[in-house]
Amino acid sequence: MSSNFGLPGGIPERRVRPIWDAIDSRQFKNALKHVASLIGKYPTSPYVLALKAHILERMGKPEEALSTCLKAKDLLYSDDSAVVDDLTLSTLQIAFERLNHLDLATNCYEHACGKFPNNLELMIGLFNCYVREYSFVRQQQTAIKMYKVAGEERFLLWAVCSIQLQVLCGNGGEKLLLLAEGLLKKHVAAHSLHEPEALIIYISILEQQEKYVDALEILSGNLGSLLMVEVDRLQIQGRLLARSADYAAATEVYKRILELCPDDWECFQHYLGCLLEDGVSLRNGPVEDKLLASHMEHQLSSLGDEEIDSRISRATSFVEKLLASTSDSLIRCPYLASLELERRKQLHGNENIFNLMEALVEYFSRFGHLACFVSDVEAFLLVLPFDKQKELIEKLKKTSVSIPQVPVKALGQSITIFKIEELTGSIYKLPVDEVESYVQLMVEMYCNSLTLSKDLDPQESMPGEELLSISSNVLVQLYWRTGNLDYILEAIMVLEFGLSIRRHVWQYKVLLVHLYSHLGTISLAYDWYKSLEVKNILLETFSHHIFPQLLGSPLWTELNKLLKDYLKFMDDHFRESADLTFVAYRDRNYSKVIEFVQFKERLQTSSQYMITRIETSILDLKQNAGNLVDEEAILDSLKCGAVLLDLSNKIGSKPLTFNEDFRSRPWWTPTIGKNYLLGPLEEISHFHRDNLMKEREAEAGTTIERRSLFARLIYLSLHNASAALKENSEANGCLPENKLSSEMESLLECYAKTLDYSLEDAVKLIGEVYQGLKGSEAFGSHVVDWVNLAVFCNAWKLTSTEYSLHNTEGCKSGGWLVDSLLQKCMLERIRNIDPWVDFLGREIPLLVQLVTEPLAWHGLIIQSLLRVSLPSGKKKKKGGTSDQSSSPLLAAARDSAQCLYSTVEEIIKQIKDRIKKLEDENLGTTFFPAIKGQDCGPGRALRVIENTVSSAKNAELGERIAKVLNSWSSVVISRKIVSGQKRMLSELLTICESKHKMLNTLRKQNS
Amino acid sequence: MTTIRRFCCNDLLRFAPVNLDHLTETFNMSFYMTYLARWPDYFHVAEGPGNQIMGYIMGKVEGQGESWHGHVTAVTVAPEYRRQQVAKKLMNLLEDMSDKIDKAYFVDLFVRASNTPAIKMYEKLGYVIYRRVIRYYSGEEDALDMRKALSRDVEKKSIIPLKRPITPDELEYD
Repeated sequence: MSSNFGLPGGIPERRVRPIWDAIDSRQFKNALKHVASLIGKYPTSPYVLALKAHILERMGKPEEALSTCLKAKDLLYSDDSAVVDDLTLSTLQIAFERLNHLDLATNCYEHACGKFPNNLELMIGLFNCYVREYSFVRQQQTAIKMYKVAGEERFLLWAVCSIQLQVLCGNGGEKLLLLAEGLLKKHVAAHSLHEPEALIIYISILEQQEKYVDALEILSGNLGSLLMVEVDRLQIQGRLLARSADYAAATEVYKRILELCPDDWECFQHYLGCLLEDGVSLRNGPVEDKLLASHMEHQLSSLGDEEIDSRISRATSFVEKLLASTSDSLIRCPYLASLELERRKQLHGNENIFNLMEALVEYFSRFGHLACFVSDVEAFLLVLPFDKQKELIEKLKKTSVSIPQVPVKALGQSITIFKIEELTGSIYKLPVDEVESYVQLMVEMYCNSLTLSKDLDPQESMPGEELLSISSNVLVQLYWRTGNLDYILEAIMVLEFGLSIRRHVWQYKVLLVHLYSHLGTISLAYDWYKSLEVKNILLETFSHHIFPQLLGSPLWTELNKLLKDYLKFMDDHFRESADLTFVAYRDRNYSKVIEFVQFKERLQTSSQYMITRIETSILDLKQNAGNLVDEEAILDSLKCGAVLLDLSNKIGSKPLTFNEDFRSRPWWTPTIGKNYLLGPLEEISHFHRDNLMKEREAEAGTTIERRSLFARLIYLSLHNASAALKENSEANGCLPENKLSSEMESLLECYAKTLDYSLEDAVKLIGEVYQGLKGSEAFGSHVVDWVNLAVFCNAWKLTSTEYSLHNTEGCKSGGWLVDSLLQKCMLERIRNIDPWVDFLGREIPLLVQLVTEPLAWHGLIIQSLLRVSLPSGKKKKKGGTSDQSSSPLLAAARDSAQCLYSTVEEIIKQIKDRIKKLEDENLGTTFFPAIKGQDCGPGRALRVIENTVSSAKNAELGERIAKVLNSWSSVVISRKIVSGQKRMLSELLTICESKHKMLNTLRKQNS
Repeated sequence: MTTIRRFCCNDLLRFAPVNLDHLTETFNMSFYMTYLARWPDYFHVAEGPGNQIMGYIMGKVEGQGESWHGHVTAVTVAPEYRRQQVAKKLMNLLEDMSDKIDKAYFVDLFVRASNTPAIKMYEKLGYVIYRRVIRYYSGEEDALDMRKALSRDVEKKSIIPLKRPITPDELEYD
């Protein structure tokens, strides 16, 4: 910034440079000193004031900065002789933007452009302001003005992009495209086009209007030569031809591309789709999703059987030709193409399945050692029936043995076969002891293959690494089948062992994150997650591996960090995105303009972003629930909860996006909230990810809706509680509180709806559980949500007569029924739970949530009630009376505090017992009773590891690996697990103790 | 089995399996978007069957006079797709772009001095170590500036190695 000054108002550059230098080196005080002396000399210079405002803002003085900005703005407006130049305006713009007043910056530019109507520099500045505000219509109008003034192609394209944005991201109708087309056509007739990106936009405008023939004409005319890479031009041509249903011509174009790029698999699919006229998704990358989504989805070919046969034969000859002309042994596309042709024949029902199997064997003998083999052929494997899959596996085994291979390739082929067995589920159909042998074999193979890595750089991936991932997956499968937890522990050992040999294998880390999470030792899961260094955009796509677990854990420090880092990343992006969009305009990469705006929208509507914003506020509320005054301050900052309600309302207007990349999740927890290990145990099959995704998306929407109500419901509950006491004392509720109560009712109605209940039915169900007519199982997996609802209902009914949940018949010795519900649900989590995995993995997250949510909110409601009754002092609420200690409501509140105090005391006792038990168990030495010394059951893989460790020799394995093996011990891992469990319990204990203290104060208060 | 096309924003949402590699840096958004906004032809992704991202390359073209050159900012391939010359294909594409479209004199790249596997690969692709940049990576590790001359540099002047190492502040470009 400092290198690019103008000198507005005749200010010498030497006076300004030190200011920018000071700003750039963050010496703001120094900068301010320089500015002060400059103001002395140029008191009416808007530029100097803008500089001052900028410095003040950077110093964290937003109010002073804003008033200085406004002073500069007034000078610009009032003083006709004031210098209005882009440097002044852009400096002011930066300050206004940082102060969240984009509109004021825009006003300044609008004013300047009004004053100097044909000044291109100012108009560009104004255009940039509209880009920042995402005002596409005004962008368009400004760009057209610039185009009229300067006649430059780029300004026309700015206008065209602005039109396209109105159609794609704004409210503009498709007719606007006609206007864009007209503008371009006229310009082309007079001046032609000179930039490749301009041509791409021109074509996309036509494509959006389905004017494919026109687009093709332009592409094949002079303008086509703007695209200098032939393949790029052919790709567009092929797509346009296909979309115009000229399949024969499109086929020829794709054929040509394949001759130039024989390894382009996507192109081969386009070729085949056009040749057989059965449609393929002709998208050229996700950027064009919106343009092309509705076209050319897979459809049935209208061709007759004979014609299909003949066309497949044509394709076969073409593929043979490609094969003959390729000498590069790494090119796989034509070979895979042969497989695809066999599959197509099969689909048309006139070919023997053995040909497909033979083609698979052939492909295996060529590429079976590659790590990507299985993902290449997955689709082909899955069309085979199970018995054929088994037959194929046998054939592959034979092939593998029959070809002499170098060790690394042989290992690669073996891994491929294991992976196919895993994919097809054939391993899982074997008896348990045979599956154990499989795991043992794989771990042995891994240990034996360590010699292949002895000379490798420790940063390079080692041959055989996948064996441990597959082994751990199979061990988890054994747990699923037998319920024996030792298999899970063994899976952990296997992965920890792998990581001690090479600590960079992210796949192992991800599996461990989930295995430790399943055991409830979230602190260990988080440690491995942290080592993955997930940052920036990966926070959006990859933090799902830990985010839900942390949300339900007592690890608030870690959770806070995750939430803050993520929000910072997203908010930084939203702040910078428009400026980068302008860079794309400036550098004439118009297609990126559209892409950037669409991407920003995609992130803004991200479900994870919504959830994070809501949960960040809820976490704040949870952490401060011990003190009513602190809680009220947070509620104030959330505009009494309205901020989150607005967020939820926004969701209704645009569809949520789901950007998490779930492909790296373990088989047993394919999406957030799904964990097959929690049962019921079923036969393994291929889970339909699409259905799971739909389920997950619907659930996320509901969760967001429900959680967005919390802050407002807490606010209303607190007010309703104090109003209830006032009503009681004054025998007269005032109107505003009635309004609060009715708002509460409607929010509770919304809440109940997210649980698929009407409020009336929900209250009925809660009542039945209260009275013991139904167990808390009636709440299904939503125990916490229901207890939260019960707490809010309890607060609401304090002033409502509609539902009588707190009537005297329903009250237990003066307390509220919600107390016994809270008590019951919390104690159920901690009593009679065995083994410990159920407790840690399943019950602790629920207990944490019950303690930190419904119990915490209820504690606040009691605080609110008792505060009204305080006889004197600053906390006394207006309208409260001095002596209400005999009020039945207050008695109920105190009883409630007493009841919950005893409950929390019991929980604390239980947690302490468990911690002591863990300490007494001699830190893990007896942790895996089943693993030691048995020939069958869990532990076979671990024994292979221990044998390897004990016999490790430098000469065979190299110094580094041998050293690691010599120091490895499963006991260390056992201890780690135990201390992880202790950490979780201790964190929960701390939270419970703070609640205990708070309730103790309340039960004693005013009694 | 490589479909190479321009990288786009949505690819950022799918490149985790590539970027989790410990030697692949995940930059902030403005870094990626600046490259996309300014040099979209130097930012390509290789896709395999099932639209899996195999790897990607990002780079730029910059400099003046005989220093006009292509620069490889990052090139990376997912472990599953290594040893298939994906990096080579991506590098060749960037070199072609620099050579034929932008008429640059050479292509250069920086690599951690400790990253032996990568240095070996670049050498195989025709790059030579032009100079060492002291403590280039976070003030800790040295970088090697490697170069490959393009057809416009007929006398291959651009790749004559510098005799002494330089410091990061002596670099001509960021």
